[in-house]
Amino acid sequence: MNTSDPSFLAKMEQQSREQQKRFIGHIANRLGRGGAGDSRKPEHPYRGAPEFWNRYELTHEERIERFMGNWRAAGGHTERVAGWEELSGVVTRILQEHGAQSTIRHDLPELAGLRLEQQLPELAHRVWNGQDPDASLAAAAYTDAGIVLVDDAVAYTGSLVVTSSAEKGRSVSLLPNLLIAIVPTERMKTRLGEVMGRLSCSAGEGLPAGVHFISGPSRSSDIENDLTIGVHGPGIAYALIVG
Amino acid sequence: MSKPQGSSVKERAETALKDEFLVNAVKFTTEKLKNGKKAATAEHGNWEEWRERGRQIRAHTIAHLDYYLNQFVDHARAQGVHVHFAPEAKDAARIAVEIAKHKQAKSVVKSKSMVSEEVHINEAFEGIGIESIESDLGEYIIQLANEPPSHIIIPAIHKNRYQIADLLSKEAGETLAPDTKILAGFARRKLRDKFLEADIGLTGANFGIAESGSIVIFENEGNARMVSTVPKTQITLMGMERLIPTWDDLEVMATLLPRSATGQKLTVYMSGITGPRRTADGDGPEEMHIIIVDNGRSLQLGDPDFQELLNCIRCGACLNACPVYRHIGGHSYPGTYSGPIGAVLTPALNKNTEEWQDIANASSLCGACYEACPVKIPLHDMLVYLRNRKVERGYTTAGEKLAMKGFKMLMKSSGRFKQAVKLGQTGQKLLVRDGYIRSQFGPLKGWTAYRHIPALPSRSFRERWPQLDAEVGASLPPMPEAMKSRMESIVAGRKERGTKR
Repeated sequence: MNTSDPSFLAKMEQQSREQQKRFIGHIANRLGRGGAGDSRKPEHPYRGAPEFWNRYELTHEERIERFMGNWRAAGGHTERVAGWEELSGVVTRILQEHGAQSTIRHDLPELAGLRLEQQLPELAHRVWNGQDPDASLAAAAYTDAGIVLVDDAVAYTGSLVVTSSAEKGRSVSLLPNLLIAIVPTERMKTRLGEVMGRLSCSAGEGLPAGVHFISGPSRSSDIENDLTIGVHGPGIAYALIVG
Repeated sequence: MSKPQGSSVKERAETALKDEFLVNAVKFTTEKLKNGKKAATAEHGNWEEWRERGRQIRAHTIAHLDYYLNQFVDHARAQGVHVHFAPEAKDAARIAVEIAKHKQAKSVVKSKSMVSEEVHINEAFEGIGIESIESDLGEYIIQLANEPPSHIIIPAIHKNRYQIADLLSKEAGETLAPDTKILAGFARRKLRDKFLEADIGLTGANFGIAESGSIVIFENEGNARMVSTVPKTQITLMGMERLIPTWDDLEVMATLLPRSATGQKLTVYMSGITGPRRTADGDGPEEMHIIIVDNGRSLQLGDPDFQELLNCIRCGACLNACPVYRHIGGHSYPGTYSGPIGAVLTPALNKNTEEWQDIANASSLCGACYEACPVKIPLHDMLVYLRNRKVERGYTTAGEKLAMKGFKMLMKSSGRFKQAVKLGQTGQKLLVRDGYIRSQFGPLKGWTAYRHIPALPSRSFRERWPQLDAEVGASLPPMPEAMKSRMESIVAGRKERGTKR
């Protein structure tokens, strides 16, 4: 059963609200406050990173260099591509090099502009479709390559940021074994905090359901500390920096 | 789940110390993680400022936990999350089981969650015939072995590749070679099918963000992303203290946690999940439940000795730094959590000082755990408080009580002390060989079983003091006049102000 019976959820909701009063009231009591808890917003003088860190800034070129170094150190591949015109050829070459038979991509005009259907007509190409979720998910699970356009990248930690929407399935950056992420240079930030600041501004209203920071190929050291790449997520991860 | 053998720390540690692979594996892994942290924190720089900021944010959140929990719950509900409250472990298991039953679920796929270990969620699901599968590679291995995790970050630290090959071969129905790639490849294929079949995905949460009702999960394999992307229903178990106020604060936690745990700049995946999938989204859960768990955490609130325990971000750095953990490994500790944090957290959460009385003694109080802690929890002080409470509540053996009484009587009078030393000097003659006591019986056995006690010298320090004093006095050059008068004026000043030092 996928969706719960509304009456079941309503009953749980009622129990939850009753329990909340006791649960948080107990916490307030232990903290020496009575009632259902403190309702005034407390002063938060220590919000976010130390002051000196917020002034840390790398130049445009430094950011790209730092990102590429970090991404490689994490076991990923990265290339810098002069512009969108050249990008199509680079993506085509990577797909061929890894012998990919199928691709799935976010439903975005920039990625449609790669014209992979024309470049590699022998491959099976699919576009993420939020209207047809089960088929999209099943396809992503058995597709060789996922192609995404990132929202942001963070140079200092070597991270990509992808978010979910009807056009941008979470599965595309997760289920295929080969990930190709397109990073326009103007989306490259220095610090994590720059992305966090924006998320904080949208808190409570416009946040996407999934915000994913990705910092290399999937990895595990759970068997005798021996590094294994591609345990559940993509084992081959490309970050292509455009511009 | 099979419990480690032995009822006391000492017995369990003795079992562990006989396992040569375990001893070496724990040593190697903790060393590797410790060095990783050292390199990562040095490279990042200003580590003390970051630690202090981490402590400030965590302490602030805990001090206003009632406000932030209400805020978190309001925002999560506004995003369509069903929030539940579990005062005790059994309540959390009951709620999760109720949801699974209603869904007529056949299988649950899980990502790593320490709180789910506290709640014994796998047993609860299995009890009603629902398959519950761990998907973190290390957790999957120990689930097959029916053992609890022995390290917060690397749960199967104690298993070698041959043991793992045996476990996975049984599952595969064919013999798998003891090769990491082959073993991990099998787990990937097997678990991929499980992700796609599962009715429910169950996760933990490293942090909850109060300002948006989001949960944040750090991981390297991608299994937590799978669990929160593929199944139609997601249940998240979250300790009630996991909150931070804002996304801005997440930058600090994201700086401290991965570097302290494994030496990474950031884990491969850090996912912020805010409610179930939006109407137009094609993946992510359609229904999302968050179960907020107390299970003894609230007992620490308002307790000046232990409230800071709730600041813990579960990085495992204290385990890697601890000379005791590094020798005896995680299964020597009695609860879900091991190492210094486990030694304090287990008795604190259970509030049964009597039952866990020996674990607080398994520490040299060296403070390495405090030095390693990214949010500066004074664990070594807390171990002393635990010992103190044990004594206050009378959980000491008759022998120890008698010994302390004797010690008090002896130390209260210098005459008695002098006589006792004399008695010792004479009495030890039977036991001393080459200046050491080596015999392994009587009340000193705990010490002499592993070390030799130096014999009492024929003349005690107190007997030698008059001579020493004269020698020291004679060998010191006279104090310069200026210094002498300065010292005298300081002493006079203190007398006037009435201060002792």
